[in-house]
Amino acid sequence: MSDDDFNSLNAIQPPEPSPEAKRRAIGASLMAFDAAEEARKKESAIPPQGLSWRERLKSIVPHLKGNWIMDARLSIGTAALVLVLLPLGYQLYSTTALTQPHPVDIKTPPVVTTTPPVLQPVTTPTQNAHANNDALPSTPTVPAGPIAGKDESGAAVTANLQPPTSGDVAKPEPKPEPMMEKPSAPLAKTLNEAPAQPVNTPALADADTSTANLPTDGLAPVPATEAGRAQASVASGGEADLAAAPPASAQVSGGIVMDKSMAAPTMAIGARQATTPTGDKFANFTESAQKAVATDPVSTFSIDVDTASYSYMRRSLEEGRIPEPDAVRVEELLNYFPYDYPAATSADTPFKPTIAVFPTPWNSKTELMQIGIKGYEPPASARPVSNLVFLIDTSGSMDEPDKLPLLQRALTLLVNTLPAEDTVSIVSYAGAAGVVLEPTKASDKTKILNALDNLEAGGSTAGAEGIELAYQLAEAHKLDGGNNRVILATDGDFNVGISDPAALKTFIKAKRQSGISLSVLGFGEGNLDDETMQALAQNGDGNASYIDTLSEAQKVLVKEAGSTLDTIAKDVKIQVEFNPATVSSYRLIGYETRALNREDFNNDKVDAGDVGAGHTVTALYEITPAGAGTTPPVDPLRYGSNNAATPAAVTPADGKNGELADFKLRYKLPGSDTSRLIEQPVGPSMVVDNIGNASTEARWATAVAAFGQKLRGSDYAGTMSYADIGQLARGAKGTDEDGYRSEFIKLVGLASALSGPDKPSNTDVPLDKPIVN
Amino acid sequence: MEQSVAARPQGQAGAEIGAAQAAYVGALIAQALAGDRAAFGTLIEEHYDLIFRTAYKWSGTKSDAEDIAQEVCVKLATALRSFDGRSAFATWLYRITLNAVRDMQRAQGRRGRGIGALKAVSPEDQPPDQEEATTTGQLWRAVRTLPEKQRDAVLLVYAEELNHAAAAEIMGCKEATVSWHIFEAKRTLRGLL
Repeated sequence: MSDDDFNSLNAIQPPEPSPEAKRRAIGASLMAFDAAEEARKKESAIPPQGLSWRERLKSIVPHLKGNWIMDARLSIGTAALVLVLLPLGYQLYSTTALTQPHPVDIKTPPVVTTTPPVLQPVTTPTQNAHANNDALPSTPTVPAGPIAGKDESGAAVTANLQPPTSGDVAKPEPKPEPMMEKPSAPLAKTLNEAPAQPVNTPALADADTSTANLPTDGLAPVPATEAGRAQASVASGGEADLAAAPPASAQVSGGIVMDKSMAAPTMAIGARQATTPTGDKFANFTESAQKAVATDPVSTFSIDVDTASYSYMRRSLEEGRIPEPDAVRVEELLNYFPYDYPAATSADTPFKPTIAVFPTPWNSKTELMQIGIKGYEPPASARPVSNLVFLIDTSGSMDEPDKLPLLQRALTLLVNTLPAEDTVSIVSYAGAAGVVLEPTKASDKTKILNALDNLEAGGSTAGAEGIELAYQLAEAHKLDGGNNRVILATDGDFNVGISDPAALKTFIKAKRQSGISLSVLGFGEGNLDDETMQALAQNGDGNASYIDTLSEAQKVLVKEAGSTLDTIAKDVKIQVEFNPATVSSYRLIGYETRALNREDFNNDKVDAGDVGAGHTVTALYEITPAGAGTTPPVDPLRYGSNNAATPAAVTPADGKNGELADFKLRYKLPGSDTSRLIEQPVGPSMVVDNIGNASTEARWATAVAAFGQKLRGSDYAGTMSYADIGQLARGAKGTDEDGYRSEFIKLVGLASALSGPDKPSNTDVPLDKPIVN
Repeated sequence: MEQSVAARPQGQAGAEIGAAQAAYVGALIAQALAGDRAAFGTLIEEHYDLIFRTAYKWSGTKSDAEDIAQEVCVKLATALRSFDGRSAFATWLYRITLNAVRDMQRAQGRRGRGIGALKAVSPEDQPPDQEEATTTGQLWRAVRTLPEKQRDAVLLVYAEELNHAAAAEIMGCKEATVSWHIFEAKRTLRGLL
């Protein structure tokens, strides 16, 4: 449908109206006109209805209007309703994603009391509350509690936290337990009656409750996550109510707050926020389980070079929150770092696998098999010409410093490094999609940068329309043999247009087949739809990156521009077949969202991850050697022909006896539809018996995987503490030219602080001593 | 479309003529409001063609267009009083006519003769008043099946050759919204044609 087609509409020549119709119409119209005039004349004659002006004036003063019952202006019912709804509303408001987790103000009013925790039994809530608070103004307050965001029952529980009564009640009643079981009370009741909060308690509601988990002496904070969990479990049990007395932070007269307690509240707050949903969406996935080699000897997965999860995790931790478990994808953490694997030498065989086997630091009974591959890095001169279409979300939600402005600076970095013959166009979408910059050669940098600078946020998002428009542009200027790519930069909002992710995916898949790929850059927080981002990038043969800082933009768009923009191999799949004679069970760490079926490996139609120039990909298997003295994960079958269930029955072919596994990798060269195979057996020579002897890169990967698992709260995380992880990581830092690894080590420290004191390190695996299996 | 130039807010006849015409129409309206029957008659007579043509383009049949035009004329007798002069008279008239078209089509829909049914029957039952076997005719019919706003936007911009701003004024929305409706319409029609 083009404008020209529509322009033919003006060729329509309406017929002349028939004269009699016209006459009839005019006649009717004149009659109506006469009638209207008549009516108007009459109207001016009739005095206006209603009260005279004095009456009207009187009605604005209610006292003069008479006091009949309908006029009673004091509505007791409404007043009561407001008293109930306002606190409830505040509660909801303060526990949703709409509010930023604000830093808690530790400043407290000069209350001259060391308010001790007071346990207030509320077995008969109504009477007690009334009895205790008769003298006090009863203000039902519902502060944001430690786990208020978790669920409504949690909120009810926290609402019950009773602050100590008036300031002169200075009876210290130290309470060992932060919580106590009591008979249940319905939510409304609890809200309405129980929390009669005295006005002169330490001011900030938030501060009150966040310190609620602290012991009075302001020393070591209670592991707040644990407290939170316990509270949640009590609440979900639905059988008990809590009356945790808030102990108020240790305050000294004059409003001075003791130093020791300073650090503690922040920690407790961090832990509280850990459970507060951010509004970002992540796909749920469950960790891949341990599998027995006897029944399931082959493991297949697609590689994943995305790094979004790492940046998101970093941002969370730096803001003082433990990220949600589903936001942590171990493989993306692993692949965030550049690894120093030996590179392949030619574009024809673009990969060279590096495989090592070494003991697991978090489990003395298992070993880790590390698979590292590095993509071929073509010389700069051989880089294909790019045709890039930036599709930029300029909806209202992008109007935050870490979104559109960061995006503009990030893309400026990229544009500055593009070779002159590359083409850049910009499409923005907000409300309606529009072309901001027609395809322009990168040599005309000023024009591109001006267009970038002029972007402004406003309106709602129509991601789908924008995508169509961007693909149209990309197709119109498609370069054969070049890199045709749409780069979508968004905070992940696709709420207008084709909002059905499935339809979008199909669309992008179809476009991928016509040679245009899609990369996604995620920005900001609170609105991020990680699931859609991942899905779009995976279907568009591109990668999804999350950009939280300018240095991350520098990493993704400048340092690794090759790997982001220049694909050297498509649909890279890995298959590992374990030898039941030597390995009894295995578990792939991470890659849960990338698992493939065994038969998908040889099926060239099945899509998989792509690898860019110089990209490194790392995967770790935790394997249990056969006969390692552990309980087998799966009991041998009693029936059926399962001789293979017992390792002794396996008689592998000659020469393959000592091998642990067989590694296979399939990939397609760009522009080719048939896959090629790289195969490498994992022999005993690749095994080292001490993690200290493993390569730096292997140890580093291990530390990252351990960290990811711990953050996820993995069942397999073992006994390694954050301190152990930090120690392992520090030993494997290598040269670390860009400081990514140092940053990781800092994050480990941060996570350790946020999750409360670690239990004393009781790892049974000394990190620096050989392990004997 | 030369015969309609005078009545158009964005006519091709130049600004002076437009201004003179506007002043003339303004005077007629003022006289009519003061109760001058003849002035009102002239006003209606001068604008009847515009109303009829618009109604025809929107409804597609001559008899419907005549009905609509008559209804608009009758309505003008009372509605003229609410014309506040903030927009051009022709713009205001478009708005009233489009409302009348919409009202009538909705009423037809209520009477069980849906717009869809009408469209399916009309080519045979009511022989076209002009050559409609051409692609333009097809396009035109397709445009009239669009949702109201999209149809209004497309017809105002392409059939009436108004610019987006003028169309927005008539439709009572923002300029960007008009562009959006046209964009949507193109997308819908891609499936239809």
